[in-house]
Amino acid sequence: MTVLETRPAPETPETPATPSAPAAIEVRDLTMSYGDRSVLTGVTFEVRRGEVFCLLGPNGAGKTTTVEILEGFRRRSGGTVRVLGMDPGAQPAVLRERLGIVLQECGFPRQAKVAELIGMWRDYYPSPRPVDELLSVVELHSHRDVQVRKLSGGQRRRLDLALALAGDPDLVFLDEPTTGFDPESRRRCWAAIENLRALGKTIVLTTHYLDEAERLADRLALLRDGEIRVCGPVREVARQAGVPTTITFTYPQRIIPALPAPGCLSLRVEDGVATCRVKNAATALRELFTWASACRLGDLEDLSVTHPTLEDAYLQLVSGGAGQ
Amino acid sequence: MTAVLPGATAPRRRPVTRVARLAVRQGLAEQRTFWRSAEYALFTFALPVALLLLIGSTTAGGFLPHTHVKAQMIFVPSMMAFGVVVAAYVNLGTKLATLRHDGVLKRIRTTPIPAGAYLSGVLGSTAATTAAITAATGALGWLAFGAVPRVAGIGELAGGLALGAACFGSLGLVLSTLARSAESASPIANASYLPLAIMSGIFDPAFSVPHWLSVIVGLFPVRPLAQILQQGYTPVQHVPLEDPVVLAAWTVAGVFLAVWRFRWT
Ligand SMILES: Nc1ncnc2c1ncn2[C@@H]1O[C@H](COP(=O)(O)OP(=O)(O)O)[C@@H](O)[C@H]1O
Ligand SMILES: [Mg+2]
Repeated sequence: MTVLETRPAPETPETPATPSAPAAIEVRDLTMSYGDRSVLTGVTFEVRRGEVFCLLGPNGAGKTTTVEILEGFRRRSGGTVRVLGMDPGAQPAVLRERLGIVLQECGFPRQAKVAELIGMWRDYYPSPRPVDELLSVVELHSHRDVQVRKLSGGQRRRLDLALALAGDPDLVFLDEPTTGFDPESRRRCWAAIENLRALGKTIVLTTHYLDEAERLADRLALLRDGEIRVCGPVREVARQAGVPTTITFTYPQRIIPALPAPGCLSLRVEDGVATCRVKNAATALRELFTWASACRLGDLEDLSVTHPTLEDAYLQLVSGGAGQ
Repeated sequence: MTAVLPGATAPRRRPVTRVARLAVRQGLAEQRTFWRSAEYALFTFALPVALLLLIGSTTAGGFLPHTHVKAQMIFVPSMMAFGVVVAAYVNLGTKLATLRHDGVLKRIRTTPIPAGAYLSGVLGSTAATTAAITAATGALGWLAFGAVPRVAGIGELAGGLALGAACFGSLGLVLSTLARSAESASPIANASYLPLAIMSGIFDPAFSVPHWLSVIVGLFPVRPLAQILQQGYTPVQHVPLEDPVVLAAWTVAGVFLAVWRFRWT
């Protein structure tokens, strides 16, 4: 008999999960093959309690395979996996009481009505959340007596979310929650996920949308061809991936050819704008200012430092690496 | 609204009570959605009822050849058997195949409801539908053709219906695992029971087949069920012990196959 953990106090969304807290999910050297086709190779990551963790990657990268192994739907080929301290491969019912799962694709009993279905789902769990609260989180209050088959795609996806939350789970899996949605539906779905985060849930989200990952995730792993290319806090991923920082300034007209910019800056000039891409912005800026004052260039006009974005990392690791 | 409400930590019910309670609620929910989808419910009833009226009005008037048995006393219980096959085997099998194909079963599997509770609920609902169809068939058989069960045959009728529903329900579960897709479930169902139903004389009380074929047909569950139910209406044919045995054997085989082959995805 398991005593359900009392829910942690609601954390503000920005509070980073304490690294010392036991991880909600630990995945080490996970491998998976379908027949003799290997689709996951040595996947290792950790999801901390209370964080939104995103598996980002293009179609076919192995996101669904990974989460369905964590959910207990697929049998892994190798490696160790711990979800809330349990092995999902053993399919413990106790684990399912604490998980909320939104599958990538999944039908409804079509004649059921929204509130009725939520009511059924609440019956399945030992300590469910109130129906009204679930309807509020996913903004489906006005549709409580509508049959599922009459809901739009976006509304169904939010109902997916409500059902996943019915049992007041500690850990929520969302496999591509907004794929194929119009902007308005996406925004509403995002709002619902942000509501979840405010409830203190640990969330594992897969997506192939950069903006979704950037908006929702605390930390992310970039998956490509069954391998994790980079993993870390969203802001740091690009730097970890080795994407250069970009420094630009207006190139002074009166430059003396005898005093070229230091080679390490690999300065390129185009239309009067100098651009250099550097690994370490602080070192590069120091060099730049030393050179500028040696050349008596004064302040470098329109100086700007642009940190690499998630998109840059994605392009470099996924698109670029794929030879596109 | 994003406030965190304290989760109600209800004491956990004893497992058996919980399973039973969940099964009942699941069964009620299944019934609710069945009757809500009017066209589905209608056509489930329409097939046996329409056949009863159409065939019955042409053949049920006379007596069986070389006997004093009125044809409708055989035909009406045969159509009840047909109703059992349609409701428990065809409907359950195609319904579960569709639920699996649509991912509804997988969604159920994301929750902690015990498999036994869910399936008991679905089977219970199927049993209720089966009972409703056979009751409708019986009532119409009485109103339209004056076929009334004999008092002494109530035991055969009730026992036959219960055993038949169990047998074809378990075979319906097996059917759902045989169908690779939702689309193939219905053809498989029809191809498996219709020839048997015809060979078993379900649609024509005077139908006769060569002895060797009759022996083979007797090994499958359709005719045994029909014969037991016929016994509920008229005592002319004695129920050989083999009829309930055949049904029970198929039930056991069906349950084993279903447990072994059942998949959520
Ligand atoms: N059940 C399966 N059988 C065989 N191959 C599969 C199966 N599921 C996924 N794959 C393959 O594994 C790879 C990863 O798939 P998937 O995990 O669904 O990726 P993603 O969710 O990132 O799009 C794909 O190449 C896909 O074709
Ligand atoms: Mg996927």
